[in-house]
Amino acid sequence: MTDLKSILSHSANIVTRKTGNEYVLVPIANNIADMNSIYTLNETGAFIWDLIDGKRSVEEIINALTDEYDTDFETAKSDMFSFMNNLKDYLIIK
Amino acid sequence: MRNYNLKIAGYKIRLESSENGPELVPEDRFKRSIIHDGAWDILIRVHNGTYNLTEEAERVFVAPYVVEIKGIKIKKRENFWSVYKHCSDLFITTNFPDSNPKKKAFLKLSLNSREWDLWLEGAGYETDPLEYPLDGLVLYYLTAINDDIMIHASGIYYDGHGYIFSGVSGKGKTTMARLWDNLGARVIHDDRLIIRNIDGTYRMFNTPVYKNDVPGESPLDKIFLIEHCHENKIVAAKGASAVSHVVANCIQHNYNPEMIARFLGSVSIMCSVVPVSTLYFKPDRSIIDYILRHE
Repeated sequence: MTDLKSILSHSANIVTRKTGNEYVLVPIANNIADMNSIYTLNETGAFIWDLIDGKRSVEEIINALTDEYDTDFETAKSDMFSFMNNLKDYLIIK
Repeated sequence: MRNYNLKIAGYKIRLESSENGPELVPEDRFKRSIIHDGAWDILIRVHNGTYNLTEEAERVFVAPYVVEIKGIKIKKRENFWSVYKHCSDLFITTNFPDSNPKKKAFLKLSLNSREWDLWLEGAGYETDPLEYPLDGLVLYYLTAINDDIMIHASGIYYDGHGYIFSGVSGKGKTTMARLWDNLGARVIHDDRLIIRNIDGTYRMFNTPVYKNDVPGESPLDKIFLIEHCHENKIVAAKGASAVSHVVANCIQHNYNPEMIARFLGSVSIMCSVVPVSTLYFKPDRSIIDYILRHE
């Protein structure tokens, strides 16, 4: 179960491309029928993605969000957990 | 024929039957792409028989056989064609359920080599070495080698401008091509295009799909992502959104991170140069007038 002390890493089963302040994410697929999902990350999502490094905890990333975007902890926490839920197949959570 | 050369999307492809190979009889759709220039970018040697794939080869990608009936896709078998990998070699196996259930093909290629080998089993004395789906697979890997882009799209050239209308099946590519054709525009193709950056300029090329296809190309000035709608509207797409929507309409085999990264790079660079917009359209002449007014 993911909590504030969890450490996040990028999964190897997705390829990213940064475009300006955003990202395009393309999952690796082994069947042509599985190639429907391509993700984009807006500036905030890209900010989170860049902080995921296998060292920072969820809480540290939330704190960085509050600093960067002048938002409160609860709002940033909600955004962070929403982000993790959307991309759970492409994150390694320990 | 024992051998012939094709020029498709600027790629020069030489098909050469080996000593024990079949007579090569290209389908009508390829005949206008045959050239008599001896130079080639890729040589495909064609053999009769089968190729025994090493057990160490790993299947990295598979496409099921899907037919579309009245807009509904039905999977008829799990394995239509597959890609296997062993060291730096790729192996594509395919069958031909529509034309000859006994025919099988085995293409051995490498992204680092200009000489590929194709084995055909159960093909008979005469055969087209690029029967569907081999033509698309060969062209896809040529685009991958050259950092080009193969896209589901119709393309037209009108009054000095090249427009692409991209979308998956059912989005209106053929409708859009027909509307422009009625206006006297040159239709490059209504289904599948290859986009290449030639000396710093993006150009679109057709690929032979239909019997009466003739080779065609034009500059590329704008990409429209098409959606049927009750009104005509153009909405500019920027940044990651533009790239992801174009990528979604491209032909790609996303099993290899390096290939994906190169492909994403190609699309990103193109989208930074060629404007991309979503085009909501009514399928009648009004959309042409709308585009011409707004471009």
